[in-house]
Amino acid sequence: MKKNILTILSLVFVFAVVNTNAQKQTPPPGGTPKDFKLPEKQVKTLTNGLRSTLVHYGALPKVDVQLIIKTGNVHEAENEVWLGDLTGLLLKEGTTTMNFKTISKKVAGMGGEVNINTGMDNVTISGSVLSEFAPELIKVIGDIVINPAFPASELERLKSDLKRQLTVQKSVPQSQAQEKFFQIIYKDHPYGRYFPTEAMLNSYTLDMVKGFYSKNFGAKRSVVYVVGKFDDKAVAQAIDETFGKWVAGPEVSYPAATQTRTNEIAVIDRKDAPQTTVMLGLPTIIPKDKDAVALQVTNSLLGGSFSSRITSNLREDKGYTYSPFSTIQNRKGVSIWYEQADVTSKDTGNSLQEIAKEIRKLQNEAPPKAELEGIQRYMAGTFVLQNSNSGGIVNQLNFLDLHGLDDSYLTDRVKNIYAVTPEKVSQMTKDHFKYEDMTLVLVGDKKLLEKQIKQHEAAKKMK
Amino acid sequence: MQGIRKYYVQFTFIFLATSLLSSCSKKSEESANTFKIPIEYYKLKNGLKVALSQDKTAPTVAVAVYYNIGFRIEPKDRTGFAHLFEHMMFQGSQNLGKMEFIKLVQSNGGILNGSTRFDFTNYFEVMPAHKLETALWAEGDRMKGLSITQDNLTNQQGVVKNEVKVNVINQPYGGFPWLDMPQYANENWFNAHNFYGDLKDLDSAKLEDVDKFFKTYYAPNNASLAIVGDFEIEDAKKWVEQYFGGLPASELPAKPDIAEPRQEKEKRFTKEDKLAEKPAIAFAYKMPERNSPEYYAMGLIDQMLVQGQDSKLFLSLVQSKGYTGSVNGGINYLGNMYNYKGPMVWMADLIYDANVSPDSILFQVDKSVAELQNTTQEDLNLAVVKIRSKLYDDLGGFFGIGRADMLACFALFDDDPDRINKLEDEFKKVTPELIQKTAQEYLRPTNRTILIVDPKTPKQ
Repeated sequence: MKKNILTILSLVFVFAVVNTNAQKQTPPPGGTPKDFKLPEKQVKTLTNGLRSTLVHYGALPKVDVQLIIKTGNVHEAENEVWLGDLTGLLLKEGTTTMNFKTISKKVAGMGGEVNINTGMDNVTISGSVLSEFAPELIKVIGDIVINPAFPASELERLKSDLKRQLTVQKSVPQSQAQEKFFQIIYKDHPYGRYFPTEAMLNSYTLDMVKGFYSKNFGAKRSVVYVVGKFDDKAVAQAIDETFGKWVAGPEVSYPAATQTRTNEIAVIDRKDAPQTTVMLGLPTIIPKDKDAVALQVTNSLLGGSFSSRITSNLREDKGYTYSPFSTIQNRKGVSIWYEQADVTSKDTGNSLQEIAKEIRKLQNEAPPKAELEGIQRYMAGTFVLQNSNSGGIVNQLNFLDLHGLDDSYLTDRVKNIYAVTPEKVSQMTKDHFKYEDMTLVLVGDKKLLEKQIKQHEAAKKMK
Repeated sequence: MQGIRKYYVQFTFIFLATSLLSSCSKKSEESANTFKIPIEYYKLKNGLKVALSQDKTAPTVAVAVYYNIGFRIEPKDRTGFAHLFEHMMFQGSQNLGKMEFIKLVQSNGGILNGSTRFDFTNYFEVMPAHKLETALWAEGDRMKGLSITQDNLTNQQGVVKNEVKVNVINQPYGGFPWLDMPQYANENWFNAHNFYGDLKDLDSAKLEDVDKFFKTYYAPNNASLAIVGDFEIEDAKKWVEQYFGGLPASELPAKPDIAEPRQEKEKRFTKEDKLAEKPAIAFAYKMPERNSPEYYAMGLIDQMLVQGQDSKLFLSLVQSKGYTGSVNGGINYLGNMYNYKGPMVWMADLIYDANVSPDSILFQVDKSVAELQNTTQEDLNLAVVKIRSKLYDDLGGFFGIGRADMLACFALFDDDPDRINKLEDEFKKVTPELIQKTAQEYLRPTNRTILIVDPKTPKQ
């Protein structure tokens, strides 16, 4: 039956091609959607509190192993910024029985390498190897996190690496903007500390690293994810044997963060810069909120996708910028919405006015149904893509775990996306996208910016 | 994360959400150790090369159209034009006006992008599987012809100039070394000009240039089409014929000579960077001819020298000497060792502190290169495991686009997409003797170009 319909449609199109004076063709609509099921997971908790989640995915003979620990920069004190990063680097330097070189050779022989990433809310120790080596990689990752050597001989070198990295990052305009923006909103909370000082890095000792490790690492805070092709039994056994021995360690504990809602304007001078890096945004609702999906849909329509209004306007209509985007950044218990764009310096004020106009328009008028449906189908489609690769699957599962969401967040997601109405989008814009409340950070040529900020002030009063 | 932000810059049209870009692995069949990709390859009467590869892991399908025109051979008085033109392919065709192509793909649940590389320009979509026909119709429509106004062109000139500013002009280490090195290492204009383009040249592009470029290069006999994912072969063939079969072939201009002379002398350059605060160095060696035995040997040498934390340069420059925290490196910084056709360099680069001299870095490099003369079969086996693992990532990566990329390139450049299934054997043929010979000829200091970034930040 399906085939017949398609054939009829195609005939129509062939006709349209022949008749060159006919009006534009409409694209063929395609067939019926195929079923999509979230990949199944096997979950287990060891007696020490360590949890494991295994997901069979794909057909290529590879496997991803990620140990995600609920600690990170969030647990650094005021004078300890990047101590978590230093701890991660030192963990990689070897265990009581294997040095760096031995580990590197061993994992290279499995077709991969071990990476350690210190993030704001998570430390991740991970590797991607050929399938048959899954149990071996689990053992290596376990050894790294349970039996670190913390060799004193490597400390100064790693501190130098961090100092070099600090200098480089501080010269990047987008990093300068982010540092300032998060500092304004999170103040003294670790979420507001983006960079250490060089003196701070110099002050770090091996004892401080060991202290950070023992205070923050342990089985209770950790989940092992294994996603890809692998042998169930061998993997389960490797997890039991390796991680069963680990200390339970500290309970999960995130220091509560408060946010400052302020329409402060901060300017960072970058002499003769041909562009201004703009960050504009405000605190918003968290993933657990009943309106979280409506917020995400509104974001996609307003600035979070290529066909969104702000991107269409700033880029495809005005040509002010190449890479505008808006996003919702979720930390533990707190979230921020922001728009970021690098715009031609002289058009900074114009860009801000256009952003304000798009927000006002959506507040005053519900979007056309067809436009919203397009965005909803885009989000449903990218949801399938996010769950169609190993890394994406781990990201989704860790997101639920970190933010205390249950499986229905994923299983009902497509339904919830389609449930958002045009009126709801407009209401969300009124409630959560008040331009006049937004924090603004500009990194650019100060002498050009002073008069452009006046355009921003005018935009705040726009009706 | 507060770790080093990697600016992996490509000439892309659209900024994709990076959360979607993590590696993915999918495939439909597997045997013990060797892994065969199913491929159906044929040509339409008008010359369009078509490669189909089923993979039913997820209900999605990737469609990629590759045109045999890269930035190397753009017009001499129009640097950056191939890339600017890529942007124009999103500005309107006969049946899809401005923004309509993008909205068609996104509102059907898909993602899309395009990019300009050394030897091709590509356009691709990843769609829900049942939207394959929609994507093929849209790609066929813009291969048929464009419908663009002066306003569209002016708009995209603005966008591209902003792209150059955000990626190069307003960025420390902007363009280093991916955009810079070809300009320093190569002698032939086609390989050695600024591919992003001078802002002046970008401004002088006219609508008639767009028209002429399209007519010259955007024809079915100068293109390949790859489809990867959850679809039926017969459906795909029917739609490909329906939407591309009627497009006329064109007469293609003769290919210019893009050959590079053999390099006989080491070249060394310094580039001042007012935005950088730390020096950086890149060193590049001219590659052996693509697909030769030495080329495959260089693939393994790349693994041994710079890929991964067990590599020689990582162990010496990072671990042992502490000159830097990481070393980048590889063949073809705007892609990988498979997706180019023409002169290429093997390159590595790193950022270091001012108290280290570039020569002490090069001393370590030379030492690592010299060690290649002692390569054992065991070393090669390890390098093959690493390259095989990476190959699987490429073949499964980015929702099928990784595989589509290789299929489309091997169709376009070699008329043989089945090369995908032969690569592993080619690497396994490499012997320690071939590694020695290849290192002697291609990793000679006289075959290399060194580029140093001299930081000139004005004191605040």
